Amino acid sequence: MMMNDESIPDAERRDLDEQLVSYLDGELDAAASSQVEHALSQDARVRNELQQLERCWYLLDELPRQEVDESFTRSTVEMIAVRAEEELAVEKDDLPKRRRHAWMLAGGTCLVAAIAGFFAVSRFNDRENRKLLEDLPLVENLDQYRQVEDVAFLRALQAKNLLPGEADNAP
Amino acid sequence: MVVSEPSAERYELRDPDVRLMLEVRDDSATAFEELMLRYQNRLVTVLEHLIGARDQAEDLAQEVFLRVYRARKRYVPDAKFSTWLFTIANNVASNARRSRSRRREVNMAGAESGSHGAPGLDQLALTASGLMPTRQLDKAEMRDIVRLAIESLNERQRMAVLLSKFENMSYADIAVAMELSPEAIKSLLSRARLNLKEVLQPYLDRGQGPAAE
Repeated sequence: MMMNDESIPDAERRDLDEQLVSYLDGELDAAASSQVEHALSQDARVRNELQQLERCWYLLDELPRQEVDESFTRSTVEMIAVRAEEELAVEKDDLPKRRRHAWMLAGGTCLVAAIAGFFAVSRFNDRENRKLLEDLPLVENLDQYRQVEDVAFLRALQAKNLLPGEADNAP
Repeated sequence: MVVSEPSAERYELRDPDVRLMLEVRDDSATAFEELMLRYQNRLVTVLEHLIGARDQAEDLAQEVFLRVYRARKRYVPDAKFSTWLFTIANNVASNARRSRSRRREVNMAGAESGSHGAPGLDQLALTASGLMPTRQLDKAEMRDIVRLAIESLNERQRMAVLLSKFENMSYADIAVAMELSPEAIKSLLSRARLNLKEVLQPYLDRGQGPAAE
């Protein structure tokens, strides 16, 4: 690996630089680390590049680490305490509203259930009533029909509209 | 995001800060204060070097803690606590930067070069090579040079470098915190460190390492 050789394509050089940085960060797997170590052992320029990267990285230790004082901690805790109180106040305000909503929801549910029940019962009753209406002529003249023992004869009378009730209703 | 039970348990077992946060979830004020004490300096350090202003860094750090508090009921451990915390910090810093851009306040380097504020990378490298002092730089001066070198990076490179340097985060954890892939972090850190080398190497070549105070 020749670090300053301009004949090395940029992509390859970028790849090598990435490998060196990852190697320094301990992020390479065993195989990749082994490749880098082989390159380091073969090429002084690769070793030099690695050393420069490492030294520049150590220079960042010059950046100071910050320390906050007690006022920061106190003001942060106070800010959060205020926020907690606000949240509690909003929840308390919402409580009657939520209770109203709960009652409305319960009432609405009952109403819907009642309406659905009414229609269900209505449909059932309608079917029953319809059936009764259909059978009304039979019911009204049941005593007379009982005197005729032959159903086929009754049907023949019906076909000619000669049954009692039907004759009255004939167009 | 649905976290598997074994995964959440694993973080709870391995990370004492996760256990503290679970107590915060159950409204323990003591646990919250303990987390604050453990992380406030670390948070302000990263944010201060990220945005370059101490007072703003403290404001942003408070915002981060506020978000931690607000999110406590929904907290499910799907990463180390520090990774989760710095994910929030990254989002807070990005939002702050977007607000500043909208208000046309420019205090920090945004682009690779030629940006407002901090000198671009090429300018810094030129300065470093052209104006070699004859004496050894003292610690304060070297610190300023290193600060400028950090500020010459774009914000993503800077954040990745700070999390790697100050928090010793792995590429995988940095990727989670910055919502990028580990491959993207590898590439980002590589470019960042090469940029830093370009600025700082001239000082090292001339023996301008950190002097004793």
